[in-house]
Amino acid sequence: MKNRTSSHVFILVLVAVLAAISHYAISYGGLIRGYETSWLTAVRNIGLLGILACLPVFLKKFARFEGNWTVYTSAILLFAIGLTIQYRLFSDPEYISQRDKAEARQEKIKTLQLHYIQENYSAEKKKMMGLPATPPSPVDLSAETPRPSIDNDFTTVLFSGKTINPLLGILGLIAALLLLKRDRVLELLQANGFLIVLLTLGPLIVAAITSSAGKSIGNMTPWEPAKIPFLIGFAAILAVLYKNLARTYWGVPRAKDVLPLVFMAMLPFVPFFVLKDFGQMMVFSGVYATLYLIAVRRFSQRFVLVGSVLLLVGILVVGALPEKTQERIPLLPTLARPVKQILPDRIQQRFHLWLDGFNPPTPETSWWKKDYDDYYKKLVAKDPELPQMLEEDPDLQRTINIDAWFDVLAFQPAQATFGLASGGTTGRGLGLGYPELIPVADSDYIFAALAEELGLFGGLLLTCALIVFVSAGVRIALDSRDMFSKLCSIGLAAFIGFQALVNIGGITRALPMTGITLPFVSHGGFSLITSFVMLGMLMAFSHRNAVDRRQNNVQALP
Amino acid sequence: MNLAFLIQIDWNKYRPENIFGGQVLERTPAGLSIVFIIGIGILIGFLVLSFFDNFSRPKFIFERNLPREVTRRLTQTIANRSIRAWQFVFVLLAFTVYGFQIYWTYFADESNEQFQALAYKDLRTRRTTAANLRGWMLDRTGSLGSALAYYKLDSDGDIGRSFSLEREMAHLLGTERGTPGLERTLYRRLADPSPEAWEILTRIKRKEDEQKDVRITIDRDLQAYIARQLDGKKGAIVVLNPQNGDILAMYSNPSFNISEARNLEDYLKLEGNKRDKPLLNRATREFYVPGSTFKTFTMISAFRAGKQNAVFPSYPGGFKPTSNSRPIVDATQKLSADGSVGGACDGGCQEKNITFAYKVSSNQYFAQLAIELGRERMRETALMFGIGGVDSPEDALLQKFFPNILNTSSPAIASALAPQQSTLVTGKEISLFDLGLEGMGQGYAGQMTPFQMALIASVPANMEGKLMKPRIEADQPTQMFSQVLSPQQAAAVREIMSTVTEEPGGTGTVISRTLAGTGIRTGGKTGTAEKQAPLYDERTGKLQTVKKKRKNNTGQWVEYDAPVMYERTDSWFITIAPLEMPQVAIAVVVEGGGFGARTAAPIAANVILKARELGLLGGQYKAKSPETPMKPKKTAR
Repeated sequence: MKNRTSSHVFILVLVAVLAAISHYAISYGGLIRGYETSWLTAVRNIGLLGILACLPVFLKKFARFEGNWTVYTSAILLFAIGLTIQYRLFSDPEYISQRDKAEARQEKIKTLQLHYIQENYSAEKKKMMGLPATPPSPVDLSAETPRPSIDNDFTTVLFSGKTINPLLGILGLIAALLLLKRDRVLELLQANGFLIVLLTLGPLIVAAITSSAGKSIGNMTPWEPAKIPFLIGFAAILAVLYKNLARTYWGVPRAKDVLPLVFMAMLPFVPFFVLKDFGQMMVFSGVYATLYLIAVRRFSQRFVLVGSVLLLVGILVVGALPEKTQERIPLLPTLARPVKQILPDRIQQRFHLWLDGFNPPTPETSWWKKDYDDYYKKLVAKDPELPQMLEEDPDLQRTINIDAWFDVLAFQPAQATFGLASGGTTGRGLGLGYPELIPVADSDYIFAALAEELGLFGGLLLTCALIVFVSAGVRIALDSRDMFSKLCSIGLAAFIGFQALVNIGGITRALPMTGITLPFVSHGGFSLITSFVMLGMLMAFSHRNAVDRRQNNVQALP
Repeated sequence: MNLAFLIQIDWNKYRPENIFGGQVLERTPAGLSIVFIIGIGILIGFLVLSFFDNFSRPKFIFERNLPREVTRRLTQTIANRSIRAWQFVFVLLAFTVYGFQIYWTYFADESNEQFQALAYKDLRTRRTTAANLRGWMLDRTGSLGSALAYYKLDSDGDIGRSFSLEREMAHLLGTERGTPGLERTLYRRLADPSPEAWEILTRIKRKEDEQKDVRITIDRDLQAYIARQLDGKKGAIVVLNPQNGDILAMYSNPSFNISEARNLEDYLKLEGNKRDKPLLNRATREFYVPGSTFKTFTMISAFRAGKQNAVFPSYPGGFKPTSNSRPIVDATQKLSADGSVGGACDGGCQEKNITFAYKVSSNQYFAQLAIELGRERMRETALMFGIGGVDSPEDALLQKFFPNILNTSSPAIASALAPQQSTLVTGKEISLFDLGLEGMGQGYAGQMTPFQMALIASVPANMEGKLMKPRIEADQPTQMFSQVLSPQQAAAVREIMSTVTEEPGGTGTVISRTLAGTGIRTGGKTGTAEKQAPLYDERTGKLQTVKKKRKNNTGQWVEYDAPVMYERTDSWFITIAPLEMPQVAIAVVVEGGGFGARTAAPIAANVILKARELGLLGGQYKAKSPETPMKPKKTAR
């Protein structure tokens, strides 16, 4: 299969068709549970995919795009999977309603029960229950009146963030592609690397000031856009420095060459300590390490980075390990105590959830005590005799602690893991699982919802699409002629790739759970737009490679 | 004109519902999901193909003519090598992360203990059980009209589980939290309640009624009746059919309402009520001292050993197993602190045979009989009854359940209803005095459940002398637990048992007086036993305590609150009826009820009358018109 625009357009159209099929499955699944899904949202989703499927034609025709389409197609594929899962979640009345969750849930259960009764109960039994006495018969969905969808208003659907953000993303993609195609722009960026890095700090500071836990303005994460200046700036600096770094005096490079790198290395830790966001730190430092290791040639210099990163991560991990794990190794609790005092409570929670998530900490644990006390107070308010009963029966506290743990902190991760485990090989089928039990499953936990309804195969598809995307990015980096665009392309691929790995790893409990999104798949504001812009940049580099190749008249040697 | 054929096609046939089979609704979304997965998979395959197309990097012109060593040291080449290495690491990481998904899907169920232990926190199971209705529970008549557990539309229009005997059957049905009962175990799931997409798709037939209605052996009217009999008393009644092991009724008072146990706070209150212990099923899980009713057991042992003709005297000074032991005395005799014995023997102080001794409930006789039989024979009989024969008194304290005694279709039901295993200490450690006490139902024989006593009564009542495994599911084939007696021996034991209730001078004649005119012959045994029990204040319901002193582990004297104990006289009666072909074996215990003949026996008589009215005793005994049962009378023993 050649890199023909037409064949990729064909694949993309098929993606849209498959998305239409999955939307139909979801709406049918909704009818089984007695609610209607919004056809308007479905049309909008398929429309978005249609626009994205036609975009290559226009880019080819008007922007004279010559690059490789694989990276684009695989990203849109991920986006289509994401739209499907989001449609599943957002059409579920239990998931979206804030106040009458219980009522929506009860209605769903009742519909299923009535179906069962209609199919299986004899007329006599139905009569005894107080239902019309009809003989057992198959359910006819068309004869029922499902709960209407709330997304039926034309303007609210089309002007919601769920429509506008992807459109902005597409615009961002086109803009990035058109801008970065030009040599002038790239030269400008390369020349002003350090200035661009300072730009990175802007969004970070905004985030630190305006938000708690790094989220502000609804679901917007202001530092998501900071990735782009960070990457361009760092690539620009490294593209100049890598030659200088090779020049050493008594084995040590010059300070003016090293200092910018140290400054860059500090940046990822800003979100970590200021915003207590562990995930972004992992992603940023992963990208930093990637670019550094690729650009720097001397083994000793590479080792300095790898060694110091390992040391730092080691210290952090040791400090954040749950106490039970620490106690297994002698001396470790003593060593870990000072680290533990510095670490924010949130990080310790996350680590406990990761390594020992099914085992509640004791109520005396510093970061758990407050939540436990709140829960306990609520119980006491309901039942004033509880403290006395606790005195008589100390085991009761264990029960309350377990309940509190799984109702408060561990609720979301535990339900996600149960969902992941319940998916099986092919999943429960779209619309037939229970991902609505996981709170806010549409952003951070979307992989759990996918795994529940599409199973191991769904997870495999997502992983494969991701690998194809990253490999296509790697391909662009390999083909690049100059160091700057090489580093930029690999950095873009690494950003998307690492972010996805950190997210999926958090849900499968391979890594601690962090609040970052799955690129292209999750429902998000800035994160989605940023991902599309990054995709546009990658495509621009791919285009430049192709142009380079044509102008140099290079051909692949046999 | 070519398009005209499109109109003629019946497009309805190609709707996904019809392709995947509209009978099972879930099939459509499941099938479409699989189509989606396969489709996306194929597209990714295409992408990978397009990717391999230009796998090797084209070389730039300046690279072409360079020697290999030079090419290798170009910045380009070195950076690209690193990039490839990075790609390799990334793919490895991606699959590692994916491997964890495989772990949770396939292996966590088996290998992760914490995950298993907390599976009940999964809201999905609650959801699927809520949506999948259980079957209805029908009583032994099997008619829908007398359903014990069923569904009903409640006032809010929701479908709710209702119970016709909510309080009377609470222990049998069990709660949704705490110890499971029939409700949670009776309905077996044949299939996964929420199967995977491909399983839905490949399931051929229409969705079957997986949780079928179950007919159980409980008689709804009898159960309701025995619950009324224990009103205001603490105790338990067990009614078995000795011929096939049917549990006809079983009740323990105080009981609770199942709806009370639904929310946590009320449940905790039930659990915290240490005085009444409403959650405890006294019929199967509380030990009582069986008293004289246990003489039936000793008598059966004697028949098994061929010693039924043994004759023993009764002594005015009590029977001393060894020369320096305390004497064992009859209930009519009084043992004062200095060891002297006052009062006359039960039935006179002469030599007695087993029939007379049983009729007058002679302690001395059965103590001597037990010693004559010896430890081994007592132990052997105990095992035949499913009683744990243990070696030392300490072993008897290791309480365990005994599900094997029950005849059920699944182990879950058996363990839900399993009785606490009664024990009898028969090791070398206990003295002959202790063995003698056991023979008359005191001492180390003091760990018997009412359920166990009903089983003991049911053996002579069985026409073939078998112990039938009790069953709760009416459609379960009968099973024998052990062949305890021969049919002839069983008949002989029945005759001896009838002397207690029918002959003048027997301890349970209140039965025959109640049943006068019905033509039903019965057999039975009264029992009265003392047990140390903590004293609760009548009004406040609080445990009464006194300050006592004890040494703590540092050797200082500290004050602590010791519960006040008092001697509670439990009233027992076991009975079988009708004697010719017994259809019920009943065990009744009333805590603090006094003499067996006074409280427990009249209740048993009423239960027999009710069973007769319900036709449980067989057609020939059925009354023409239902009679009102007699009120329990105060009768001297």
